[in-house]
Amino acid sequence: MPSLDYQRLGNFRYAVITLIGDDGFPFSVSTDFKILPDKKIVLQKPAWPSKLDGKRVNVLFNHITGLPGGGYGERRYMLVWGTTHEDRGTLRFEPESLSEWDEKILAFDQYCAKCAPQGAKYLGTLQASVEA
Amino acid sequence: MPLLPFYLPDSGKFVVTSSILFSKKAENVKKNPKVSLLFSNPEGSKAGKHAVLVQGIAHADDSDLDHGWEKYLSYWRKKEPYIDAYLAEREKFGWFWKRIVVQVEPKKILAWKNGDTSQAPEEFGA
Repeated sequence: MPSLDYQRLGNFRYAVITLIGDDGFPFSVSTDFKILPDKKIVLQKPAWPSKLDGKRVNVLFNHITGLPGGGYGERRYMLVWGTTHEDRGTLRFEPESLSEWDEKILAFDQYCAKCAPQGAKYLGTLQASVEA
Repeated sequence: MPLLPFYLPDSGKFVVTSSILFSKKAENVKKNPKVSLLFSNPEGSKAGKHAVLVQGIAHADDSDLDHGWEKYLSYWRKKEPYIDAYLAEREKFGWFWKRIVVQVEPKKILAWKNGDTSQAPEEFGA
């Protein structure tokens, strides 16, 4: 996976855990987290869902800053896929894959250019469905 | 993923518009329409410290990528007034303005008072 920048990760204030519930709907819950000196990510275990041991989840670390005139600045997020392990009332999170954006690192127009292949893929699929 | 949702009071649905550049979520909705929207960041949700999870059925409409989303522009402008500057450069950001409309019909709502997720959420049928 792309390397996880633990220093930048530590600048986020909270995390959102998402997993697929028994009813098939995604279930998301926000929680606190900390990064240990050995780069282990430890999430505070939410009350619900009650069992998160060995669960495949994604964890979103997200930040926006409200602007005085409306809208948002300092937009950044890290979306990390991995597995949670219950450990003495906390959740140890083992990251496996990552997608991220930080507008201070990659300006919005450059981010759009980077994502052009996904746009082309979508249009290609749409075109094929129209022709079918 | 962080998103900018709009609530439609007349229908009780939520709407998200997504550029084809960031269309993975729309692809996923077509495969599995079960989705959730979490409002947990007070900066964006305007729900105070409370956290609210909306679970629902999503429908992705890409029948008019160039204009189908425009009916929601007034909602968007209220949340991000500077969007007009990007609109003025519509040709420069051509594919950004090819947008899929995703409507979410709520089925279940879960809420954590004061965002206290150490407690089980309250559940409401939609």
